[in-house]
Amino acid sequence: MTGSSSEARLITPTMLGAWLVLATVPLWINAIGLYPYIGVEIVIWSIYALAFNLVLGTSGLPSFGHGAFFGVGAYAFGLTQFNIAANLWVCLAGAILAGAFAGLIVGLLIAHRRGIYFALMTIAFGQIFWTISVKWHSVTGGEDGLLNILRLPATFGVVSFDISDNETLYYFVLAVFAVVVMLLWRLVNSPYGRILSAIRQSETRTAHLGYNVWLYKLSVIVISAGLSGFAGGLFAMAQRSAFPDVMNLAQSGLIVMMTLVGGGLVSFWGPVIGVIIFLIARDVIGAMTNAWALYFGAMFVLLVLFRPEGIAGGAKLLMERWKARREASRVLSSAPRSG
Amino acid sequence: MKKNGKAGHGPSRRSVLKGSLMTASLAGVGAFYGPWEHNRAFAQGKKPIKLGLTNDASGQFGNSGQDEHRAIRMAIDEWNAKGGVLGRKIEWVTADTESSPAAGTRVAERFITREDCPILIGALHSGVANAITQVANKYGTIFFNTNSSAPSEAGENCSRIKFVWDGNGTNFSKAAVANAVKSIGKNWLLLTNDYVWGHSTAAATKALIEANGGKIIDNLLVPQNTRDFTSYLLKIQQIKPQVVGTAIAGDDNKALREQITQLKLDQAGGPAWINNQQDWPDVWGAPESLFGVFGTTFYHKIDLPGIPEFVKKWQDANKGGPIPVPGNVSYNGYVATHELFRAMERAGSTNNIALIKALEGHKMSAKDRMQHFDAYIDPVTHQVQQTIYLARKNTKPSDNTDHFEILSWAEPKDVMDDAAPTKCKLVPHDKVPSVDA
Amino acid sequence: MFDLLPHLLNGLVLGLLLALIALGFMLIIGLMEQINLAHGSLFALGAYFALMLVGPKPPLPADLAAQWLQIPLGWRYGMALIIAPCLAGIVGIAVELCMRRTYGKDPLYGLLLTFGVALVLEEIIRLTWGTRDHVLPVPAGMSGAFLFSDLIWSRYRFYAAGMAAVAIGLVWLLIEKTPYGAMIKAGAHDSEMVRALGVNLSKLRLGVFVLGTMLAAFAGIVVAPIWGIRPHMGVDAVVPAFLIIVLGGIGSFWGAVIASLLVGLAVGISGAYASEWSLLSMYLLLVAVVSIRARGLFGKKSMLEV
Repeated sequence: MTGSSSEARLITPTMLGAWLVLATVPLWINAIGLYPYIGVEIVIWSIYALAFNLVLGTSGLPSFGHGAFFGVGAYAFGLTQFNIAANLWVCLAGAILAGAFAGLIVGLLIAHRRGIYFALMTIAFGQIFWTISVKWHSVTGGEDGLLNILRLPATFGVVSFDISDNETLYYFVLAVFAVVVMLLWRLVNSPYGRILSAIRQSETRTAHLGYNVWLYKLSVIVISAGLSGFAGGLFAMAQRSAFPDVMNLAQSGLIVMMTLVGGGLVSFWGPVIGVIIFLIARDVIGAMTNAWALYFGAMFVLLVLFRPEGIAGGAKLLMERWKARREASRVLSSAPRSG
Repeated sequence: MKKNGKAGHGPSRRSVLKGSLMTASLAGVGAFYGPWEHNRAFAQGKKPIKLGLTNDASGQFGNSGQDEHRAIRMAIDEWNAKGGVLGRKIEWVTADTESSPAAGTRVAERFITREDCPILIGALHSGVANAITQVANKYGTIFFNTNSSAPSEAGENCSRIKFVWDGNGTNFSKAAVANAVKSIGKNWLLLTNDYVWGHSTAAATKALIEANGGKIIDNLLVPQNTRDFTSYLLKIQQIKPQVVGTAIAGDDNKALREQITQLKLDQAGGPAWINNQQDWPDVWGAPESLFGVFGTTFYHKIDLPGIPEFVKKWQDANKGGPIPVPGNVSYNGYVATHELFRAMERAGSTNNIALIKALEGHKMSAKDRMQHFDAYIDPVTHQVQQTIYLARKNTKPSDNTDHFEILSWAEPKDVMDDAAPTKCKLVPHDKVPSVDA
Repeated sequence: MFDLLPHLLNGLVLGLLLALIALGFMLIIGLMEQINLAHGSLFALGAYFALMLVGPKPPLPADLAAQWLQIPLGWRYGMALIIAPCLAGIVGIAVELCMRRTYGKDPLYGLLLTFGVALVLEEIIRLTWGTRDHVLPVPAGMSGAFLFSDLIWSRYRFYAAGMAAVAIGLVWLLIEKTPYGAMIKAGAHDSEMVRALGVNLSKLRLGVFVLGTMLAAFAGIVVAPIWGIRPHMGVDAVVPAFLIIVLGGIGSFWGAVIASLLVGLAVGISGAYASEWSLLSMYLLLVAVVSIRARGLFGKKSMLEV
């Protein structure tokens, strides 16, 4: 980990830059041949990917069942709306709580696992949640889906914003995204986050240092699941419905792939980059050919062969080389720094 | 909705279909390079009408999705050859809806907001159909559900902007059950896919069996994605029902078929099988394994005027395609697209409300639809009430496509889903956002 | 009400088929510590290659095709059982050559690579053979049904189970009774030591990967007449394979076999008594076992855990 002043900040220059660029998206997204909904989807999946990377990248826990938490959040958003209160904040809170609760159940059973056994157990739990969502028709609507979920207005005291069209929904999810990014950045760079990183590097050593590894792992699973559920709730609102398909193994795999493609293992922003590339590539290739999977799959193969550290990783490497060169030319006489 | 006038004219945005190597030669059909562009005169300066074809190309329904796609394209080509609709050329875009609701939502959003499509056509899976409907509802875009046969599509999940073109599970049960109770036996076992479509189909079947004096001796629920049916088949043999009514869909049904035929359970000695609708694209791959009595809305060997011509046209349009003759899935897509253009001509407009009104209650002659009885679009549920055929495996095929033996056909009024009108609540016309092309 | 015996027998047959599907996956995960997500696509590819050889339209010039079709179905089927896995093995070589770059790195990279390969292979299948379903013809002597204790049984299922048992037995012989097996086992635990012994590790890995691929393809051919052939058929195979490996324990041959039989029995028996739970039963079995035994039934510590 490279020491940098930005780690201590609440808001970093990168964040500001990213938000500014993202805030202008509705102005030019049509001009580049895309459409607002894909923007909404990208931001929501970015939240999901960042939440997921808390488990994968930060803590080194390979989860292949995260779709379950996303899906549980989506259903919870709709069910809260229909059965408790049709209020945006209540519904989003419902999504977070449901996701976190699902995370707690799963976490209690798998937090003491590692590596491949952890990964495969998450697949099993993911499948169990998926099966329940398909089977429990009276609650979830089964395959037909939970329909007619509303895009509820965002109320702040007396002010209320209508977010029912794609542009306003985009700004809403973007604002939420900004908050999530700040929170996660703080979390990752807090002492708690550093212990998670230590667990990723060596669970045994962290345990020897006196930390309760199990509790840390459990808590990060719960936080990540809660945030994934939150993203799921937003997705249900964007899609105006919730379906079991986001919980299946293929979809759970997609979030892993997006995070890896972007470089989530080496960079905080990696998952976001991955989501952007992934969703746009799929949409654009999909509009050109029904054989999109061929090109899409080839893209992964090439990426692993030539840029295994992911796109963010590649960029980081270039940055470091450039920095190193600049430093080398500036202080020619001094010994070059390693790394 | 903000729309960019220039959108859709860059070469990279061309809608190109490469569903298979065989159809790759058709690639490149798009706004400017359409084959009709240079030899057909359309009314000068009139904007083309662009349809969004939401057809699955991958996943569980990829095969059927591409089959309906071919027929929809054929209908479009026919109308363009005649000079288009209202003097306007018809264009289309397509993208893979992946048999997945999330993809359905995305593709529908893309077609409506990015490609300016006033109409979406195509669906196999009820979840995907519902996801598309949710998007279409928001914008008021008309959506033709061509091939999803869940009864809920014209029941609780109906919509003012959605029209359902296929017969559904209830229609098929009604056509088959009364007959089977009387002629085969009263002891029934149901083998049901454990999800909404299976349950609603089984419930309808059960009510009909009991109304006709039969009884259900067991109902085996089969989880979705079951590939091995042996334990169910063993159990059926142990229970010994006279008739087995199945409501098993998609790949599950294909696996079930293969296993039943391997056992020769559909032959003398075994129970009689009442199967749900069999989609032609599924049958074509595995005709050896057709079993029991099943429903359909179309068969290419039915002796009715118009069918030979339709089959010929379809074959000319799909030379070297993966399936040699049109089946029910293709048929539904073709007829639906035709009726859309006719409705536009009747309404003299592409305005959605005008089109909805032109479609609602519209009667279609038997001759026109190449079926035995007149059909109509139910104004209460938006489902097409049509002739339902019962068929079984043909033991004396006249050629290598002749897999069905048509047993009987039922009038629309005799197979109507009576429960649907009470479940379906359509919003008033003036509550639908206005859309035009 | 009815006998349990047929359901036990059916469960065992299903278990053998699942073991065959999981076996190639197990070898690769055991030696290379890589999760091969393309396993399902290679499984499908095997079935399609066999279809090419056994089906009515072999990809040969017309006169050669006609001659080929003169050969009795039984012979062609027998040849397909050997040739199709070899063809898939060639694809396996290509995949392994790509995969080499990921050895020694985070296993997630191998995962990403094989995910890409799976997408590409499935699309190639769709482009080459179309999206429709196919049926793999089986020699008349193997198909059909027979009567036993008042029940009709599918003859092919028992042939399929027999072929699975033979393949499992051969793999067992290879691992336990040949020097290659010793190398494979040593390689799984200590690649440094294998290298020190003068074994060419990269050749060993290539060999095992190709063997795993061929086993996947063979499983595809054996299972195809029961499940059917369609482009996404591999998806149905990967999940049980995953599950069986965890249940049995990574790197354990007998673990995989016993886990397969357990899953087969669980699915078969629940199918008879609580039909709607039969698919979920394997997940519940997994959760129950792994909650008690962290590394599955016979698992050893794996590098993938660190």
